[in-house]
Amino acid sequence: MDHIIEINGLTKDYGDGRGIFDTNLAIRPGEVFGLVGINGSGKTTMIRHLMGFLHPDAGRCSIRGLDCWRQAAELKRGIGYIPGEVAFPDVKSRLDFFRLQAGYLGIRDFSRIHDLADRFALDASAPLKRMSKGMKQKTAIVAAFMADASIFILDEGTTGLDPLMQKVFTDLVREEKAKGRTMFMSSHMFDELEAVCDRVAFLKDGHVIEVADVSQFGGHEPVKEYKIEFTNLGDYQAFLSRSFAVAQRVESLGQVTVQATDQEIAALFTALADLEVRFIKQVPHTLARHFIEKYQETEEMEGSLHV
Amino acid sequence: MFSAALMKQTIRENSVLWLILAAVQCLMVSTIGLTTPLAAAGIAYYNMLPGIFVGIYAITIGNRLICAKVDRGTLAYVLSTPVSRRAVVATQALFFAGSLALMCTLAATVHCVAASFSSYGASSAEVQTIIKLNLGLLALALAFSGICFAASCVFNLSKHAIGLGGGVICAFLLAPLIAMFGQNFTFLRYLTIVTLYDVPGIMASATGWAWRLAGLAGVALATYAAGALAFTRKDLPL
Repeated sequence: MDHIIEINGLTKDYGDGRGIFDTNLAIRPGEVFGLVGINGSGKTTMIRHLMGFLHPDAGRCSIRGLDCWRQAAELKRGIGYIPGEVAFPDVKSRLDFFRLQAGYLGIRDFSRIHDLADRFALDASAPLKRMSKGMKQKTAIVAAFMADASIFILDEGTTGLDPLMQKVFTDLVREEKAKGRTMFMSSHMFDELEAVCDRVAFLKDGHVIEVADVSQFGGHEPVKEYKIEFTNLGDYQAFLSRSFAVAQRVESLGQVTVQATDQEIAALFTALADLEVRFIKQVPHTLARHFIEKYQETEEMEGSLHV
Repeated sequence: MFSAALMKQTIRENSVLWLILAAVQCLMVSTIGLTTPLAAAGIAYYNMLPGIFVGIYAITIGNRLICAKVDRGTLAYVLSTPVSRRAVVATQALFFAGSLALMCTLAATVHCVAASFSSYGASSAEVQTIIKLNLGLLALALAFSGICFAASCVFNLSKHAIGLGGGVICAFLLAPLIAMFGQNFTFLRYLTIVTLYDVPGIMASATGWAWRLAGLAGVALATYAAGALAFTRKDLPL
């Protein structure tokens, strides 16, 4: 089996341009796959299809070869899920909730639950009602990972978490990835996705506008950008006379931003050796920047189509 | 087909209202059974009050079993496990019908026992009548619960489920009362399923009561089935 999660031509039209339209994605086993997009771009709709809560208008999606709608219950064996909107059943304490879920899942060994609760600093006996957003989210994370599933579907898994707990979550995702687990996670926090994902799909108005390979971002891009500031105008101009790919220049500050592949780096440093440089730094092409560029590009394209 | 874990949770969530309504009914039938002969109290009691009790139970629990879980989103935590929609709907329906059967059985038993301890005693014919009256009540309760269950399965918002289920049941319960206000309103008796629970007929040992109960059972069966079908096929905003 090449792909563990497959989305083919999936369409759900809620009218007025809302929904998802002819979306196609294929996730490999062991991959951590991210889904980003602004609010209302269709992330949750896509995830609800994977969970078998929604019936597609057209197209289909499958997990491990099982149809997400027709074989919904069957394929839930081995899936951990964090809903986009966490609402707990009517039980007293957090432990009661874990017990209830364990009952549905047929889990008898509670050691993993206690281990996870410890990691997220959760008091199992605390009452479920009147919990803060972060506390609810942490409880939902433990519930999703307690099953020791092979596939995790996480709809904005870290909303409301403090930076410390986000780190715990990221570590947990990395650990599960190391065990060969597959993750399908939506988020609007780019750094979180950049930190853990292999690939990220950009969703805009219900369309997948790009699937980006995360290894090409965050400072690992094949053509890197460097910002250099010179101490004097003479050296600044001397540098510009060389044949480097200049992306941007600010004469008043004596700053140049150049693009260079790793092969060109030696030539760059040789050229800089004779010049007086105040600083040089790499400007990583972040996922967030890429997304914003891509988003605007698509907007402009759509704009020109509508004229 | 059924989920034991869900059944346990459903019993836990709904036992309080069941206990209250069962206790009130038992209290009433034991008082009536001990103090008044069946011929005098039967029609007065069974004609109105138990119908209201099971009506309240049907409206409240009906909404809670399915629709409230969708509305609040807690059902996501059941359906993200290997429990199928079919198992959810079957388990909840089993609880609903089963809890009503238990309530009616309990009330009938208490009534029979109380009557046999009374100074009038209870003849075997009277015991039979009490059982028939409660069997009829159960049929009515199942029809009510079926209507509320179907509403609960079809709608995603509690206010809609309670609005439809509650509205229909209130109308059904009120129609015979309004029908008593004169000849012009007697037609209302034929617009409500409550008429199929023929208390005077059962008391008078008239024939045909069983057919009417079968009619109520038919309503129950149809509405439960329709609800189950709707729930397994619809989109869930979870």
